[in-house]
Amino acid sequence: MLEVRHLAKRFGGLWALRDVSFSVSEGEILGVIGPNGAGKSTLVNLITGHARPTTGQVLIAGQDVTGRRPWVIAHDRVARTFQIVKPFRGLTVRENVAIGAMHGNERDGSVRDALATADELLELVGIAKHAHAAPTQLSVADARRLELAKALASRPRLLLIDEVMAGLRHHEIESAVELIHRLRDSGITIVAVEHVMKAIVSVSDRILVLHHGSILALGSPREVLSDPRVVEAYLGHRYVNRRSE
Amino acid sequence: MAEILRGRARSRQGLFREWIRTRTPANSWPALVGLAVFVAMLGLQQLIEPGTQRLLTSVFLFVALAQAWNIIGGYTGYASFGQVAFFGLGAYTVAVLMNSYHVSFWAALPVAVVVGVVFAVAIGVPLLRLRGHYFAIATLGAAEGAREVINNLTSVTGGGGGITIPTFGTDAPTPYFGKPGFYLAFLVLAAVSVALATVLARSRFGYSMVAVHEDEDAAGAIGINTTVVKVVAFGVSAAIVACAGAFYAFQQIEFYPTDVFDASFTVLMVIMVVIGGSGSVGGPLVGAVGLQLLSQFLRVNLGSFNQLIFGAIIVLVVVFFPQGVVIYVRDAWRTRHFSVLDNVRRYRL
Repeated sequence: MLEVRHLAKRFGGLWALRDVSFSVSEGEILGVIGPNGAGKSTLVNLITGHARPTTGQVLIAGQDVTGRRPWVIAHDRVARTFQIVKPFRGLTVRENVAIGAMHGNERDGSVRDALATADELLELVGIAKHAHAAPTQLSVADARRLELAKALASRPRLLLIDEVMAGLRHHEIESAVELIHRLRDSGITIVAVEHVMKAIVSVSDRILVLHHGSILALGSPREVLSDPRVVEAYLGHRYVNRRSE
Repeated sequence: MAEILRGRARSRQGLFREWIRTRTPANSWPALVGLAVFVAMLGLQQLIEPGTQRLLTSVFLFVALAQAWNIIGGYTGYASFGQVAFFGLGAYTVAVLMNSYHVSFWAALPVAVVVGVVFAVAIGVPLLRLRGHYFAIATLGAAEGAREVINNLTSVTGGGGGITIPTFGTDAPTPYFGKPGFYLAFLVLAAVSVALATVLARSRFGYSMVAVHEDEDAAGAIGINTTVVKVVAFGVSAAIVACAGAFYAFQQIEFYPTDVFDASFTVLMVIMVVIGGSGSVGGPLVGAVGLQLLSQFLRVNLGSFNQLIFGAIIVLVVVFFPQGVVIYVRDAWRTRHFSVLDNVRRYRL
């Protein structure tokens, strides 16, 4: 579904990403983790056209979409959420989601249909009771749910979620993990960028670890977690040393 | 769940069909009130003296101009300070065609609209990449430039010496409308622009404009072609303004580049929309009607100080109702919370 070949992005003298290659097959959930500044959000931006790669290619369903504008890629049924939530503040929560259902390849025929779709999606992510509220009135967790509903409204086949679970409480993470599994079961391929290690381990089929813009490890959650380099990147080498003693 | 993730009806419907289809008794009142006001204005024409007729004609002109500015400046969030360029180009297109080529007004009018739209697209494609102050200044510059071009194309436009539209005798391509005719013309123009804004606001395109206004990255991510939305909004706005300019030219008969490219037209559009409430249909309507009537009232009753008082009132309204009068009233009504002081606090940084 998604293939990334030798992707690199340079901001001035800094390589945010360097020679990153991997692929995600249909119906898979790939978790992407890494410390702050590892290039996780840059990776998402490059895939969805919000930034242009310095070198490398992005292929979606076998088609080269490198450097295309965001809406062109969105019309290819690719949706994303933003790490820093970006609600349309002047509209209600329901209208925010409806806009997503008005656009893209599988869009609704009318505004009224789009609003009906929005109601169903708000139910799905669990914020139906806030449908007529302003997005600024939502809690952090609900604002992230709104981001997810907005992304789903454009009926993606590939969904990139950028830290939807950050700032969620324990039981909220559990329901988010369950929701992501349900989305996958309905046929959506998912790339989940996360900071919360526990969440990503329970949600992903495979995990990609980024560190300083390069791939540090890629494999099943169990393999990745037992990789000493990953442990070191996350917890520092002092921890690794202490454990090996 | 899988059903949610597929589109509903695939058929795509036109703006008007969709609008008609979604009418219910509860959401039809603005349309009915609008129709009633339109008919009342038609009737009123028979009762009023010529001076009042002229005043209302200018009110209608500014209703149309404010609605046009609101489409690009309010809904889409790109504050254009060059709207008068479309006004001037519309005016000069009509004047040149009627004067030099003896084209009838009704044939020249669509050409004027096309000229306005073409200019909007031509400057919009590069300038709509700019945001905020940069866009404002760039459009201001474009309008000044347009005026200078008209000013220096003496062989076509008459340059700084002005231009005259033949209106009497066999020379006239179209007989002059007279005061009653222009009252009707500007009333229809205002009504059409209000109706267009109303339909647009609740359409797919209307939501796209708001999305672009709020966050272009997020708009792009859900599949909105932000470039197209911005350029089309600018073009629609320019079409209304050029149309208004065309009627204005015919009404004035004789004018100079400095008249129809006067930046104070743009400034008035901005002030009317901001005072009334941008990003709503009622805002520009109330702003245009309110400010035109207020300015006339002060001119008649206050003599030489009228401009000072007028300015002071604008400042006070902006301070106390930063979001615009219509939006303040709407929100206050919804929340049953009318305190003006709380309102000032809420919008102050």
